[in-house]
Amino acid sequence: MEDLFSICREHRSLASGEYEAQFHAMKTLLTAVLTLALAAPAIAQTRPDQVAFRGLYKELVETNTTLSVGDCTIAANRMAARLKAAGFGDADLTVYIPAEQPKRGGLVAKLPGTDPKAKAILLLAHIDVVEAKREDWSRDPFTLIEEGGYFYARGSSDDKAQASIYTDALIRLKTAGTKLRRTVKLALTCGEETPGDFDGAEWLAKNHKDWIDAEFALNEGGGGSRYPDGRPKSLGMQAGEKVFQDFRLEATNPGGHSSVPRPDNAIYQLSAALLKVGAYEFPVQFTDTTRLFFTARGKIEGGETEAAINRLLANPADMAANAVASRDPRLHSMLRTTCVATLLQGGHADNALPQRATANVNCRMFPGDPVAGVQAQLVKAIGDAGVTVTAVPPLSPTPPPPPLTPLVYGTAVDLAKKMFPGVPMLPTMSTGATDGRFLTSAGIPTYGVPGSMGDPDGNGVHGLNERTRVDGLYQQRDYLFELIKLYANSK
Amino acid sequence: MRIIGAALAALLAVSTQAQTLRPDQAAFRGLYQELVETNTTLSVGSCTIAAAQIGARLKAAGYGDGDITYFQGPDHPKEGGIVAILKGSEPKAKAILLLAHIDVVEANRADWTRDPFKLVEEGGYFYARGASDDKAQAAIWADTMIRLKAAKPLRRTVKMALTCGEETTYAFNGAQYLANNMRDLIDAEFALNEGGGGTLDDSGKPVRLEWQIGEKATQNYTLEVTNPGGHSSRPVHPNAIAQLAAALVKVDAHEFPVQFNAVTRAQFAGIAKAAGGAQGAAITALLANPEDKAANAIVSQDSTLHSTLRTTCVATLLNGGHANNALPQRATANINCRIFPGEPVETVRATLASVIGDPAVSVTAVPPIRPTPGSPPLSDKLTGPAAKLAAKYFPGVPVLPAMSTGATDGIFLFAKGIPTYGVPGIYEDADFGHIHGLNERIRTKSVYEGRDYLFDLVKVYADAP
Repeated sequence: MEDLFSICREHRSLASGEYEAQFHAMKTLLTAVLTLALAAPAIAQTRPDQVAFRGLYKELVETNTTLSVGDCTIAANRMAARLKAAGFGDADLTVYIPAEQPKRGGLVAKLPGTDPKAKAILLLAHIDVVEAKREDWSRDPFTLIEEGGYFYARGSSDDKAQASIYTDALIRLKTAGTKLRRTVKLALTCGEETPGDFDGAEWLAKNHKDWIDAEFALNEGGGGSRYPDGRPKSLGMQAGEKVFQDFRLEATNPGGHSSVPRPDNAIYQLSAALLKVGAYEFPVQFTDTTRLFFTARGKIEGGETEAAINRLLANPADMAANAVASRDPRLHSMLRTTCVATLLQGGHADNALPQRATANVNCRMFPGDPVAGVQAQLVKAIGDAGVTVTAVPPLSPTPPPPPLTPLVYGTAVDLAKKMFPGVPMLPTMSTGATDGRFLTSAGIPTYGVPGSMGDPDGNGVHGLNERTRVDGLYQQRDYLFELIKLYANSK
Repeated sequence: MRIIGAALAALLAVSTQAQTLRPDQAAFRGLYQELVETNTTLSVGSCTIAAAQIGARLKAAGYGDGDITYFQGPDHPKEGGIVAILKGSEPKAKAILLLAHIDVVEANRADWTRDPFKLVEEGGYFYARGASDDKAQAAIWADTMIRLKAAKPLRRTVKMALTCGEETTYAFNGAQYLANNMRDLIDAEFALNEGGGGTLDDSGKPVRLEWQIGEKATQNYTLEVTNPGGHSSRPVHPNAIAQLAAALVKVDAHEFPVQFNAVTRAQFAGIAKAAGGAQGAAITALLANPEDKAANAIVSQDSTLHSTLRTTCVATLLNGGHANNALPQRATANINCRIFPGEPVETVRATLASVIGDPAVSVTAVPPIRPTPGSPPLSDKLTGPAAKLAAKYFPGVPVLPAMSTGATDGIFLFAKGIPTYGVPGIYEDADFGHIHGLNERIRTKSVYEGRDYLFDLVKVYADAP
């Protein structure tokens, strides 16, 4: 999930999950002073608490939770059993099972805080994984294999690392009897990787918001990145994401025999519309998050790009500055809503005039842009009433991005300075989608927390031989454990 | 089947009379019914069975085993056909060939008002799939062969080929197979085929008779753009679908130049005369100067005339992308061209490529790559007797030459040196009798009169020096 480059390389991932894209890939970030100690190879000594964590992580990873043959409910029950063994009572544990899909269950847990008036915080992770074929992998994807400083398995990174860290954190807090001011809630959900199928986070937000209600939620989608040699490069705090929405363009025509072409033709009409969609640029927009991101990015790039970004920050309508800043497709997409034709279909026989031609236009809407607004812009750009533009269900919620508050962001930055000295933190907006959109739109601002710093090769997330660094995982666990405590004790 | 858009005035009314079948007509009707009721669709039918039924009737009429040849392509056991030969008295005289196809377009019983594979006679019409296209002509040819066998020998040899696969693009084509593999068996000075006929007005009065002489060739081309693709959350330039869309818009805007050949000159002259007015004047101007843009604009308002004037290419199929959330790696379109007789397939391909002007868009001719011969010559030897007989059977009805914009099997035979013509004689209603569509039908009168006319015409040709 860390790196869009890998997502693009791994073809299968395009058809499966949908939450990947991170824009903290700061390739040229060389200015920071880095602490080499953090990047040193894993030391064979493992602390007792890490051994316990490893057992939980192994059990979760080795429970197949793919849609095809796996079972999230088993995984949820196993995590519930561990929480129960740690002292959680039945009142604080809920394994929910959707009626229609008994294998797509999940778990909600609660560790009550000392101040009943303080709002809770929510730890959110998904426990389902992308499909993995044994014959395509070098190792069994559902056996946790430690090799050369890496944990290999499907889900070893996405998202069972974070799911394990959160569950382990609750267990440690409970067994240690740690008193925290706020209630800490945990939601392990199923269905993040399967758009169009049951999604536990969406279901909870709609049906049992009280179970998960919180001042804010910590989710995947943040993380960080490493240099090719493994040194930490940057940490990321994801605040907001672009919204996935498909639109269907359609032109129809009476058709006829192809030996006698008529002046109007559904395929040509659609083609003209697609040219206009391709030529249309949505206006430049910024959120608080992307302002911070672009400011930092400008400094890293320097020169012409920095100047252009600064002009664009001052005036989003500056076309010349936009032209420079948008040269990089990643920045281009982060600056605006984008819509691109992805599927094309037309006609019914080689020797008949087409009666219908359709295209799927996949939009990544800027946070807060309403579906109807994007649709209206497409209709206007096309300028042909004969080409219909329809939003394809499911209609995604379009919440504005959650604010980067001093509590959420400042706390994470301060802790990172201590635990990852010299590694810069960047606020990011995902161009892809996570489950955070369901919670944020339900009034629970959801952030992708820093900590999981991915390799430049993408760690095989959604692809073959998914892996995560052993030392990195333990450091991520330590960081998040401290961060959770800080958040839970905050005013 | 050919389509003529310009309305022509009826010059003479032919009285309609109740049909009381003569004995020879009753015999014909039995043959026609058997052929129509034998399902010969590609999906579930069998041309081979239909060919065998015709063969049995020929044998009963006195044809020997040596006079009958069944054929079928390898791996196409249900797509067989039959060739029959009636030897002439003059061994040096060249043969004539009667050609018809016995396969039919698919027909779904649920969609039809009547069973498409039952010959239903109702309100002066025969209803059935193939009642018109092309089993009326196939039945008339087989019946002709049976009647000629009992008659006085003719000077020339008369051959008949009933073939399967005219209606399908990518399956077995019997006419093509014969032309390529059994050329000697079907050798003839010329062949008589479907594609001509005649047109009735709404009241059933004959408007005109038609010779189909030459046809546009069908050729499909694929436009294809490929791209490394990527994740749709990060669009990049170029985009395969956008490139294809740009190419298609250019193909749409391109107009192939106006052309005439001897047939279409005569055809347009006839249309101009009948139409008169602004259209007639524009046609006359265009005949004088094919580059007359103003005249072209007027004449080409009629889609059929537009297509008869030039090569046309039109996008018919579109496909692109592999996932809603991925940038497309491939986008393709099928361009269906109807090539003016004589224009090479490669020339049209090169024109499309040049019009598109984007090396990223490949333009490839899709097999089967069909021959594109010119038009067979207009010959008085053919048109003279046809006109003379028409004056007898259909007095006052003009006989006009026409090039068809659609394709027939004639193109395969002509490519191998057998000039093939769509004969006049069998009239269709102005709506073409719903051929290829629902509730295909033909007037019973058109079938019986066409049969009489064609029988006499074959005899005249076969006895000609």
